[in-house]
Amino acid sequence: MTHPLAPLARALAQRSARYVLIGVSGANLYGPGGQAVFTTDDIDLFLPPDPDNLVHAWSACEEAHLEIWLSDEPLDRPRDRRVAERIVERSALTRATGQDDLMVDLTLVMKGFDFEDVWAERRTFIIEGVPVPTARLLHIVTSKHATGRPKDQYFLATHRDALEQLLKKGE
Amino acid sequence: MERCLAGLRQAAEFVKSYRFEMTDDYLSLIVRLEALPQNQSGADKSGRWRGSRRYAESLIARATLLPRNL
Repeated sequence: MTHPLAPLARALAQRSARYVLIGVSGANLYGPGGQAVFTTDDIDLFLPPDPDNLVHAWSACEEAHLEIWLSDEPLDRPRDRRVAERIVERSALTRATGQDDLMVDLTLVMKGFDFEDVWAERRTFIIEGVPVPTARLLHIVTSKHATGRPKDQYFLATHRDALEQLLKKGE
Repeated sequence: MERCLAGLRQAAEFVKSYRFEMTDDYLSLIVRLEALPQNQSGADKSGRWRGSRRYAESLIARATLLPRNL
């Protein structure tokens, strides 16, 4: 079964689009073999505030047969630099959706962090032969803590408990 | 019933006021996890999404009910 992110990651890599995987999907990649995986409905990609890069990311989404949304409406066409500049000015989120309820958020904001700092310390994991730049786990949990939403607090508490158990087992 | 409702109200208050603490112990746990060999760049993570809800649902959707052997 194909990883839901693989086709998009491949198209992003072909365009040299810069992004890092963040959120629960990113945190899940750090769990020791097959454990500490938390359910999530979406995949969060953190992008730099660069209109050209955003256009490349949208183009990759289209190649991966994903629909692109701004709020509740399809993103305007043509999806060019002019539209991307407006999105970057507002630090707005665009969302790509696809088969099997796949939902990929293209965010320009990661609470408490600048893109370049996260990018500089990224790990590049491999998923189905495709490189997937992933934020440091420390950056992911620190950002979730800074966000302070109840669901993030709950994730952090559960995540800590799961990691404690896993690392105890490994000792 | 009243006791149940009071319990739920208490739980809701607790959730509202709960604040996760980034303790030194937790941060050292994260650093230990990041330092594992399997969490370095180049590691293959192809199988790491299989605990996701979507994966579980895809398995359920493909499941076939078989008559039970009695």
